[in-house]
Amino acid sequence: MATLPPIASDYCPPFAPFFGLMGVASAMLFSSMGAGYGTFKSGIGIAGMGTFRPELMMKALIPVVMAGIISVYGLVISVLIAGALTPSSYSLYTGFVHLGAGLSVGLTGLAAGYAIGVVGDVCVRGYAYQPRLFVAMVLVLIFAEVLGLYGLIVGLILNTKSSNLC
Amino acid sequence: MGAYSTRDNGGGGYSLSSLLPYVAISGLGFVGLYMLLTGSGEQFAVGEFILSVSPHMWSLLGISLCVGLSVGGAAWGIFITGASLVGAGVHAPRIVTKNLISIIFCEVVAIYGLIMAIVFTSKLNNDNDTITSSEAYYKGFALFWAGLTTGLCNLVCGVTVGISGSSAALADAQDSQLFVKVLVIEIFGSIIGLFGLIVGLLVSGKV
Repeated sequence: MATLPPIASDYCPPFAPFFGLMGVASAMLFSSMGAGYGTFKSGIGIAGMGTFRPELMMKALIPVVMAGIISVYGLVISVLIAGALTPSSYSLYTGFVHLGAGLSVGLTGLAAGYAIGVVGDVCVRGYAYQPRLFVAMVLVLIFAEVLGLYGLIVGLILNTKSSNLC
Repeated sequence: MGAYSTRDNGGGGYSLSSLLPYVAISGLGFVGLYMLLTGSGEQFAVGEFILSVSPHMWSLLGISLCVGLSVGGAAWGIFITGASLVGAGVHAPRIVTKNLISIIFCEVVAIYGLIMAIVFTSKLNNDNDTITSSEAYYKGFALFWAGLTTGLCNLVCGVTVGISGSSAALADAQDSQLFVKVLVIEIFGSIIGLFGLIVGLLVSGKV
């Protein structure tokens, strides 16, 4: 005969890993959405300008690389949180800390990737007409990328604050 | 002026679909405030709900969402690429065989989901004696979130690769030396699905 489910009244309840795992998932998911949007939106612009100026295409791939870095931010925090998950002696506090870390990286990555996509699309089209715009394009892309980095900083700081006192 | 038909409700009318989000949110808010202010707020217990769902349900939802959402992403990418490929191939039939590689990139996304679902399935067993232990719950949660992560990342990856493949087909139809350069964008898109796979393996590996 099976026993009754455990009562969730202590500081390390059995459902605490649910929230930590939600943090892992949201970090990877939202930053993937941002990276994907950045990749395909700037890819449309790059393919379009390549039909007019194919010799400028290799330098125009920069928005795609920066969008890929956004997904790496999500991967880094997911790996860090997943390494700290255990079935037992995992407090609810740690679960919420990991959820917060994952959500902060994920949502900022989504925003940064969206910005990189729109900026990359428009800037590579302008770069095809005026090659001196390359420096301006890189500057604007760096500012968009750094938004994802802010989320990663907050996520890493939050991750160091976890403690499993039951 | 009579040649245009406008959806004019006589000034100030609203359709049901535009009001529905506001009605839903205010309804939920009303119910929540009622429960809170009449002292029965503790009935909204998230932890109790999570523990009352069987760990088998969590695991199997995760496994099915993994393969279902990955295949959905692959399908979405295939139809986006395929439509552009065949459309551009009307005037440039030489592009068709080379651009099938974009469709294969989308199919690979579905294979990732399939492989991960098979890996997760190998961790299932009908251990009813220990079903209420912390380890059993952890396994259920881990398989659910690993499957959901892999599935949704592959969905996003499939759409990304599909749109990039569509751009590649259209650029190739214009000028065949552009294909390889736009393929680089597709490769950057497919690493997103690979990262989802890595996270899914990491999370389910500890189970």
